[in-house]
Amino acid sequence: MLNELVLKFATWLDSYQSSTDLHESLYMYGWVEGTHVLTLTVFLGMLLAIDLRLLGVAFKEIPASTFVERLNKPMMIGFVVMLISGVLLYYAIPIRSSQSIWFRMKIVLLISAGINAFLIRKMTRGSDMSWDNSPVPPTRIRVGAGLSLCFWALVIACGRMMAYDWWDCHKEMPQFMYWAAGCVNELAAYE
Amino acid sequence: MDVVFIFEWLDASMLADFAKKSAGLFAVVQTVHIVSMVMLVGMLILGDLRMLNIVMSGVPSVPIIQNTKKWIYLALAGIILSGIYESSAIAMKLAYNSFFFAKMAGLAMGIVFMLTIRSSVYSRAPDSIGSNGPQPDALSEGVVKLVALTSLVIWFSVAANGRWIGFS
Repeated sequence: MLNELVLKFATWLDSYQSSTDLHESLYMYGWVEGTHVLTLTVFLGMLLAIDLRLLGVAFKEIPASTFVERLNKPMMIGFVVMLISGVLLYYAIPIRSSQSIWFRMKIVLLISAGINAFLIRKMTRGSDMSWDNSPVPPTRIRVGAGLSLCFWALVIACGRMMAYDWWDCHKEMPQFMYWAAGCVNELAAYE
Repeated sequence: MDVVFIFEWLDASMLADFAKKSAGLFAVVQTVHIVSMVMLVGMLILGDLRMLNIVMSGVPSVPIIQNTKKWIYLALAGIILSGIYESSAIAMKLAYNSFFFAKMAGLAMGIVFMLTIRSSVYSRAPDSIGSNGPQPDALSEGVVKLVALTSLVIWFSVAANGRWIGFS
């Protein structure tokens, strides 16, 4: 049911001429994708620095709260640009993306990373910040930072794998993969 | 200078044979390349934005720059090793690709710039930028900021040229 709705939405997006134009444009698609990848360095670069501090493996001389608060703004600017360019990339290829196992895994990982970030934020802004100046934060913080790095590395991996058609719906693959990729119409991306 | 022979040698190597046959591993190595790029450029951006007084202003710059170094070197190792593996699979395509040569030129320039000018200038940043206390041989704010901007431009151009190899 959900898969049908998602495909219906993707087909509706695909009916717009601007979606096709963006996908088929000589330079614009490349610029949008280039922006998406370059902004990774801003968003994930800042996030990496924060997570390394929260893991207690780098920037130990600087209080954790200072590090998290001061890098939050540039990180969020990077995130917004990445989100906008990501939405445009989906808009350019909505049907194939909607039935891609990698895209689906990426969305699940993004949601997981978001929940994890919310929990870390809550812990680093809590009333008990007695560990702020300590080089190595408490275990719960380090676990959160480690999970954050894993989630984002996997997000990058899924984004990269989307370029390959190994497990696209029109390919022969195990039944489980058809289910996981949400294949409703195997040839929808070609219609 | 004609450097095509290097690409021909790489294309005929065992590494190229292996890389061409292992599509799954190739995609994993591509991911390692991107993660390393994020680490490298992210750490450089952090240092450069700090010296532009855009992030972490007021926090001493020395520990920030010092801490980024280890991760920059680790990322460079990851980028170079994964890059050689990726290049071996498409060596003859790269031999005639302008964006690849632009990327390599930018990468070489970026590494030399980072190890020489950037490192030397940042260690002599004035207190108004570095917040490390008065420096006897401090440079002017303008010089430090110009170096930070140049560093950002070089590394973004390396990343952008790298992305554009895929489109060309």
